[in-house]
Amino acid sequence: MNTVYFEIAARNLLQSKRRTFLLGLALALVTMLLVMLLALSQGLTETMIRSATTLSAGHINVAGFYKANANDAAPMVTNVDAIRKIVEENTPGLDYVVDRHRGWARVVSESSSTQAGLTGIDIRSEPRFGQTIQLALESDYKEGGRAEVVGRLEDLEQPDSVLIFAAQAKRLEVGVGDALTVIIETLNGARNTTDVTVVAVAKDLGMMSNWSMFLPKQTILDMYRLKSDTTGAVMVYLKDIEESEKVMGTLREVFVDRGYVLMDHDPQPFWMKFERVSGEDWLGQKLDLTIWRDEVSFLEFVFTAVNTVSFFLLGILLVIIVVGIMNSMYMSVRERTREVGTIRAIGMPKYGVLGMFMLEAVVLGIVATTVGGLMGAAFSAAIDAWAPPVPVEAVQAILMSDRLHLAVRPGQIITAIVAFSLVTMLASLWPALKAAKMQPVDAIHSAG
Amino acid sequence: MAPIVRIENVVKEYPLGNLVVRALQGVDLSIDRGEFTTIAGPSGSGKTTLLNLIGCVDVPTSGVVEIDGDSTSKLHDKELTRLRLHKIGFIFQSFNLVSVLDLFQNVEFPLLLQGGLTKKERELRVRDMVDKVGLTPQLRQRPNELSGGQRQRVAIARALVTKPKLVLADEPTANLDSVTGLAIIELMREMNAKESTTFIFSTHDPKVMEHASRIVHIVDGRIHSDERTDFLSSPLAETGGRAEAQAAP
Ligand SMILES: Nc1ncnc2c1ncn2[C@@H]1O[C@H](COP(=O)(O)OP(=O)(O)OP(=O)(O)O)[C@@H](O)[C@H]1O
Ligand SMILES: [Mg+2]
Repeated sequence: MNTVYFEIAARNLLQSKRRTFLLGLALALVTMLLVMLLALSQGLTETMIRSATTLSAGHINVAGFYKANANDAAPMVTNVDAIRKIVEENTPGLDYVVDRHRGWARVVSESSSTQAGLTGIDIRSEPRFGQTIQLALESDYKEGGRAEVVGRLEDLEQPDSVLIFAAQAKRLEVGVGDALTVIIETLNGARNTTDVTVVAVAKDLGMMSNWSMFLPKQTILDMYRLKSDTTGAVMVYLKDIEESEKVMGTLREVFVDRGYVLMDHDPQPFWMKFERVSGEDWLGQKLDLTIWRDEVSFLEFVFTAVNTVSFFLLGILLVIIVVGIMNSMYMSVRERTREVGTIRAIGMPKYGVLGMFMLEAVVLGIVATTVGGLMGAAFSAAIDAWAPPVPVEAVQAILMSDRLHLAVRPGQIITAIVAFSLVTMLASLWPALKAAKMQPVDAIHSAG
Repeated sequence: MAPIVRIENVVKEYPLGNLVVRALQGVDLSIDRGEFTTIAGPSGSGKTTLLNLIGCVDVPTSGVVEIDGDSTSKLHDKELTRLRLHKIGFIFQSFNLVSVLDLFQNVEFPLLLQGGLTKKERELRVRDMVDKVGLTPQLRQRPNELSGGQRQRVAIARALVTKPKLVLADEPTANLDSVTGLAIIELMREMNAKESTTFIFSTHDPKVMEHASRIVHIVDGRIHSDERTDFLSSPLAETGGRAEAQAAP
């Protein structure tokens, strides 16, 4: 109705400074916490998308299984050029397409061994891979190593080369220039052994980099004795990752139209489908389309965990805040009984009184949550800039990064501010209703 | 013209535990426009109860209370509130100003509730009213920076700024020393004369009573006597000089 109501609200808040300050502080802190948790969750998602789309998946993957006999399955697609062509011609919002080979091996060094998923990559056709993968300092993985990067990503063009990650280098006790023996099982069940040379060691990218190694495509083809028109997966990158799901649907229809046999969509990474597909009763080629999220669905628990903890934490804080607001408002209403009676007598309607008290809470709510929201954004940005190292390796693996990344989205700050302002408003509703229901007669004559 | 207040056989009962207190037991009263009436009587006699009924902050248990032609027992809270806002001004025993607002804002408040005036118009009205109660120098002070007498003047300004037909004051001088109290009554009297606003106030101070043009005595919830004071029997004609002489401090 008029600015005088804001003035009354503001001045009443200033009048009881201590109470306002404590309540405002609490509100600001909770909002700050919410913004930071959202930033953490967002940061995790971004880190995960980055790792996933670098290491193991395109935004959309056109992969599949080839069954040469009834109780086996190979994670590969034949006729890669035809598939690439279909994808290139039919993907709305396409950025680029690459294809990678897939394999599974035991990798042996002089002193140790490990299991690893092999990825055959054409490093020249994937400039973005080089932008995301960072090479590690030698000292990061080797006792007494130099504090500099040795090895080059480009050397992955050379036949029988391999890129491994720092944790693997430590475990296998190898460095750039050392040899590894890769042992695989071919389609017809024969063992095949190949010697490769480590040409680069990359910084860890979390859990997934523990079991990923990159080799030139041709090396993989040779190991498995495959024709050059086969591949593991055609990886499709879009301009907007948010479109992935929709575009996958479009591509499925296109492939069905062209007579390809498709597996039902199963939101799991390809290596979790082996067993099932091996037991299925068909032969030949089937395509399997997935989006990036499917390929890292086994990490979903990380988000569930973070969100559950956040949810409980915020829930408890919220209850405390609501109780605090209600309590303080009841006190304020009681203290101002006579004032309410007076202004009701003078002619303020009930809803005016209701509005007056709620406005006070809303003013406090908006100011405090805005301050808290901005503080949360500032702290998140500062933490992200600092990128504190994550000390515990298990946590590193879960975070899929050795650095903590927080991402602040303006929309999330606004959501947090609006949400907590609304909570403040709702919490003030009961006390305000109580004030509005007071009878002017009783109120005027009350003491105080 | 119909009287501004018409009360007919009004009974007001309050529940008190299992008992019922009869605060008013059949009151008839009619007050004309422009009167300057006091309700007098001992403590507990029903003065406040009667004023509450006239002020539309309460409705009678039985009987009729008519304000400017409207019977209050037929009205809902919303309509009673409107009636109070537009026709009645209140002055309270303990001033009851809004403590966080300054003098100007306190006086402006009812105008804001009424709406309809521009900021300029409101400012003019408020300044004019504040000038009439002699507080222009204190315009931007808060209630706690004012003396009791000054606060009650602010209350008078607030009650009158909307130009109500009726102003009610329940023991407006009870919290003031006698000199200040009399000055307040004089100020009210002056406003009564200038604006021809009807005033009804309660008191049990004989010195204050003297200044009324009509004294209604109630005892035990009944009207005991109702007299028009001789030398003030013609309220509108008489006041001027005397009131002004005392109002200017
Ligand atoms: N809300 C109430 N509940 C119960 N009884 C009440 C209530 N208000 C007033 N009464 C009773 O009604 C009677 C009249 O009270 P009222 O306040 O009108 O008297 P009064 O003349 O204003 O007295 P005082 O001079 O002390 O202000 C008293 O007996 C009082 O106890
Ligand atoms: Mg009384």
